[in-house]
Amino acid sequence: MTIALIRPVAARLTWRVPRPGVTAAALFLLVALTSAVWPSLFAGDPLAADPLHVLEGPSGQHWFGTDQLGRDVFGRVVHGARHSLTIGVSAIVIAVGAGILLGLIAGLSHRIADEALSRSFDALSAFPLVLLALLFIAIAGTGTTSLIVAIGVALVPHFARVVRAQTFVVRRAAYVTHAVAFGAGRARLVVRHVLPNVLGPIPVLAVIGLGEAILLAAGLSFLGMGPQPPSPEWGAMISEGRGYLHIAWWTSILPGAVVTATIISLTVAGRFLQRRFEGRDLA
Amino acid sequence: MRRIRVTVASLVATSLLVLAGCSAESSGSAADAGKPVSGGSLTWAVETEPITFNPHLYAQAKARLLVWNSFEALLTHDDKGGYLPWLATGYEVSADGKTYTFTLRTGVTFSDGTTFDAAAVKANVDQLRADGYAPAVAAVQLKNLATVEAKDASTVVFHLTEPDVLILDFLSSPQGAQVSPASLKAAKNLKAGGPELAGTGPFILDSYTPGQQVHFKKNPAYDWAPANAGHTGPAYLDEITYRFLKESSVRVGALTSGQVQVIEGVPATDESLISASPNLSLQRGLNSGSAYSYYFNTAHAPFDDVRVRQAFREALDVPAVLDGVYRTTATRAWSVIGPTSPFYDKTLEGTYSGDAATANTLLDAAGWATKDPEGFRTKDGKRLTVRLVQSAPFVRDRRDVLAQAIQAAVKQSAGIDLQVQLVDQGTATKALADGEYEVFDNSRADTDAGAALNLLLYSTGAINRTGVKNPDLDKLLDDAVATTDVAKRTATYRALQKLVITDQALVFPLYAPQDQIAAAKTVGGVGFEPTAGVPGSAYRLWLSK
Repeated sequence: MTIALIRPVAARLTWRVPRPGVTAAALFLLVALTSAVWPSLFAGDPLAADPLHVLEGPSGQHWFGTDQLGRDVFGRVVHGARHSLTIGVSAIVIAVGAGILLGLIAGLSHRIADEALSRSFDALSAFPLVLLALLFIAIAGTGTTSLIVAIGVALVPHFARVVRAQTFVVRRAAYVTHAVAFGAGRARLVVRHVLPNVLGPIPVLAVIGLGEAILLAAGLSFLGMGPQPPSPEWGAMISEGRGYLHIAWWTSILPGAVVTATIISLTVAGRFLQRRFEGRDLA
Repeated sequence: MRRIRVTVASLVATSLLVLAGCSAESSGSAADAGKPVSGGSLTWAVETEPITFNPHLYAQAKARLLVWNSFEALLTHDDKGGYLPWLATGYEVSADGKTYTFTLRTGVTFSDGTTFDAAAVKANVDQLRADGYAPAVAAVQLKNLATVEAKDASTVVFHLTEPDVLILDFLSSPQGAQVSPASLKAAKNLKAGGPELAGTGPFILDSYTPGQQVHFKKNPAYDWAPANAGHTGPAYLDEITYRFLKESSVRVGALTSGQVQVIEGVPATDESLISASPNLSLQRGLNSGSAYSYYFNTAHAPFDDVRVRQAFREALDVPAVLDGVYRTTATRAWSVIGPTSPFYDKTLEGTYSGDAATANTLLDAAGWATKDPEGFRTKDGKRLTVRLVQSAPFVRDRRDVLAQAIQAAVKQSAGIDLQVQLVDQGTATKALADGEYEVFDNSRADTDAGAALNLLLYSTGAINRTGVKNPDLDKLLDDAVATTDVAKRTATYRALQKLVITDQALVFPLYAPQDQIAAAKTVGGVGFEPTAGVPGSAYRLWLSK
């Protein structure tokens, strides 16, 4: 993987027609993204309750049925995309930003500082993600912001370790040693030569990590740590519906299916990008 | 001196009636479990984990079924709100209503081996009045108590400053339960209770695993059951375990799969699962005390304006919301006093609520005439936001879901922004103490509704969350407990209900709380506590072999 990534960037950017699975994933992600940006395109008010039509099964009018308050489950799933994707993307932005910074510092600094940082990444990675996020929430309190930061912090070591490993490879590459020989300053060296060349695997990792972040966000919301009712967040919807699972499966199962589809799509898309970027798309 | 003497003999007839007609509807019959047999171990899944096992500090109606396993009171209730002897064999009231003399049962011992006597009763009251121990009890239930005198080993006299019939209700309530004075002194963790505290009851609490279960074993020395307990001598069961299963679906699943034999708290949506099984039975009982109601905080805007309070009540179509959440099993409440109480004022029914047009007119008149882009009403740029803070240990019957249904309904009909926060008890206590709330939700299963009203509506009441300080209201509450005449008390409480429900709109009664018990048909003696209407203790239960 690392050897492939030192190839010039241009060689990785040739276009081929993707396979059906990838197309489906891309289409699903497009719909999900549109839902997050413009939910009213697909559905009405996610908070409108109708006590006369509670827990009714999927129908032409309510594609995903209604929940325990008579709210349209499909409408809530659509509006929930904004919550879930916002949390996922924001968390990834935090994780990637902090990961690049800390990884570069570790990769370029003195051995002792590197040891200290690397061992702390190892220590953080030793904890299950959920536990780490829960710990953070226990300290910072519940709510959307705290959820975003918790997941972001939990995912930092993922990115930091990759960036650090890349930095080690790149700093010994011929073009870096040449730049040093030509008398480039330290800042210029890092910004012009090291940074662009360690970022190769990051977009792919970020897409796959996004799936992980969304799953983690849904899980924590399920436990009541995320946006509070009546916000239509996917994990919270699954949680609210579980008391009715035996009489109204759609209140939990269908939002759960959407979470699953989102994560599968992100993983498929991520793997596709990975193959493209590494030039291993041999299909 | 006018004498009202209650003896065991005169009450046998009453108690037989109690046994015959428990105030509950039942879809199964005790006959399935055959004749009572001794022995066996039962597991019962309950919704609520008590915040304390110390009966003096009892605060959750859902924990009442645990209290009477290991503790007992001087009196208990028959099914009509009257009193039966328990640890007291009888009592006399002086003509001025200020002196209550109790004769105590002899031969009763606490499970730690100490003897129950007049000194123990006095020690319990002294403990309740100790600084910082049970301030709510000391300030409300015992506010008219001057002194307690242990005349001899089996006679104890309560001297009151004012006539107060609620002293009898107190002495039959969990807070009035008798705890071994030796264990009260020795307990390291007095406020949490648990195995350290010894009572006189038919079971002994021997282990408690927080978050999981509490276990009781039979007290073999027990021989002083009240006349309406169904049998005498030690309990039938050798041991009983109560498991704390907060999720209703988990409780129902545990019952249908045979992991537990009894559950309480069966949501309407799950009842079909119980009735579908030939081996399970379901019973429902209405609680006594106060109805589940929203109390409006009048201390600050917006509910300092009676029109906004009325508007909130008009904005909600209560039957529609109740049917949505509870199907058709909920009983709508019209008064702060529950409909099973003799003091309930039936004439309040249908006099208010459910008229969205009136709600909007009232809000326009109160100055909340503009709306923001989200559809909420505003006044001077400020949104009409009211906050309901629910404390998780007190949430039962899906009251969190009901709150969300109400939230959606009042937004749709009148543009009111009801914000619901479900928080832990510490956070809720702080929010209530700081006045950071506009709506307070509560129901109380007191056997005498007057006890609930004294806490909720008296200007110094411990849970007076409306912030009402009305001398007329206080006088009505005082007058209502100064006489034993039920007709006079009823008239006084009717005037009070008119004041708080009709005139002041301080309270928004929603539904009459009920308890449900579902049990395997191998379990006999399942039923509700007379008058209180909550699930009874384990004393009457047996397991057929």
